[in-house]
Amino acid sequence: MTVRGRIRRITGSITFSAYWMIAPAVLLVAAFTLYPYIYALWSSIRVVSPLLPPAFAGLKNYKAVITSIYFLRAVRNTLIFTAAAVPITVVLGLLTASLLNRRFFGDVALKALVLLPWAIPIAISGVIWRGFFNSGWGALNALLYMAGIIPKYIGWLTTPSLAKLVVITVQVWTQFPFATVLILAAMQAINEELYEAAAIDGAGLLQRFLYVTLPGIRAMLAIVVIFETLMGLTAFDLTYALTGGGPGTATTFISYFTWAESFKMLNFGNGAALAVILAAVSLLMILAILQFIPRGALVGGEER
Amino acid sequence: MMRGWGIKLVTYLGAIILAIFILAPLAWVFLSSVLPEASILSFPPDWFQHGLMDANYRYIFTGEVPRGAVATGTLRRMISQEVRFVPRAILNSLIVASAVMLVNCLVGSLAAYPFARLRFAAKTPIFFFITMSRLIPAVALAIPYYLIVQRLGLIDTHWALIAIYSVLTLPFTILILTLYFRGIPEEIEEAARLDGCGPFQTLVRIVVPLALPSLIGTGLFAFMLSYSEFLFGLLITQSIKTRTLPVILSTVSWNPDVTWGLTSASIAIGIIPTLLLVVPVWRYMVRGLVAGGVQ
Repeated sequence: MTVRGRIRRITGSITFSAYWMIAPAVLLVAAFTLYPYIYALWSSIRVVSPLLPPAFAGLKNYKAVITSIYFLRAVRNTLIFTAAAVPITVVLGLLTASLLNRRFFGDVALKALVLLPWAIPIAISGVIWRGFFNSGWGALNALLYMAGIIPKYIGWLTTPSLAKLVVITVQVWTQFPFATVLILAAMQAINEELYEAAAIDGAGLLQRFLYVTLPGIRAMLAIVVIFETLMGLTAFDLTYALTGGGPGTATTFISYFTWAESFKMLNFGNGAALAVILAAVSLLMILAILQFIPRGALVGGEER
Repeated sequence: MMRGWGIKLVTYLGAIILAIFILAPLAWVFLSSVLPEASILSFPPDWFQHGLMDANYRYIFTGEVPRGAVATGTLRRMISQEVRFVPRAILNSLIVASAVMLVNCLVGSLAAYPFARLRFAAKTPIFFFITMSRLIPAVALAIPYYLIVQRLGLIDTHWALIAIYSVLTLPFTILILTLYFRGIPEEIEEAARLDGCGPFQTLVRIVVPLALPSLIGTGLFAFMLSYSEFLFGLLITQSIKTRTLPVILSTVSWNPDVTWGLTSASIAIGIIPTLLLVVPVWRYMVRGLVAGGVQ
């Protein structure tokens, strides 16, 4: 057998191995991805409801959804929420990571502490904070009252504007640990000599941060911003457990609205139209943000 | 000199504020779980007027109705059986999450190796298809998933949750494991290949033992995500046979017949498994992810 023939035979068997090894994962993901997407697209142009006979709806579902005042409110709520929560999360993550990058008494304990909110399921964090902010017996009201800061209890979760702030606060609480961990890891990967060189050049604390730290963690920051934007736009567990979308519709976000439309109103057609819109918007956001990421910085890069 | 002192002050001040922000709600959960209802509801607030008690925990595990220091007349009304489901819900979550972890380790490492090492047609598109499939928000998939599961007759079974959570976690697992496997020096595998090992044997004999800590860390991450998942748990489960912890805790917390003390005791019990796992996950997975991926 020629050398070339043998190589081809070995290559062929390796290719075969590759395909059967990835087959279980590919089949599993494809079955639960392609079919559901096609199904969602299909039902978004039909009347699908346990209460009504099935029929073709064309773009009626989309029209019904887009022109609904509740939808517009949910979109506005979601955008404001995301626009507030993402920068706060990233900045707090950055500050916390800078803090943990220093040596001080109790730094290891604080590092472990920072991981706590990340470890707790978000739905449960929602319940925890609902108890903390409760207007009748919550710890916050009790503490503020005992300290003499407020004369009477405040309805944190029953006042629309306050409830919005509470939801943002809790979102930050659940999200900043992961941001911190990623940013801290990127900071620790920066070559120590760069700092020394900068110090020799007379760079102050701020300059060292701007010219050494920031460029070193830029790629990671981009990843964190994308991740947090997605988490914000699709937040569901949190409002379900913390506010139930209320008071009124003050904290009803697109995900919660989609869920309510599908499983409370049992209008699967409208729900599917919403889902398609949501998926499309998320994809656009991802693509838009990807433009700002330095090439090859993403973890998912195929070629080295 | 003055400046170093100032930085130190800011550091400790920041650390203290951060610790308070993180701990305040958790402290309230643990404290109120051992307070009698009358103390929690007192106004002006006096949390320690009736001392501490373990009655909430005892009720969850034994069904013994809490008496404590509270007048018992109206108490009976405030007790709902639902909160006694919490231990069972933890068990359900543990079963589902362990199975998902197993699936992730087996299917994930099997798929990650070819992506890391082998050449085959359509490799890049398939890799992107798998990793990007998770970027679509979960709620967009809720209806189709529900209908698939319904058609398969798997509503209210562990199987449905295991399948869905595996699909949700696998893309990330494959991404991470691909990076790990690529980081292993190729020369080590070369020796096995010269001994006549195919890709599968090389994976099992060489790569998996070498990457074991990362593999377990990645598996534990899938475990944590499954343990925490809420939306599909809410959708697929209908009875305590399968209800997972986040779902039970959420319904318990909206149940007017469950006191806050009982809710907080359930929370305190329920979050223990994830609190135990967070440090190993961080050490093995997140660190490796960062060291291997972005530099």
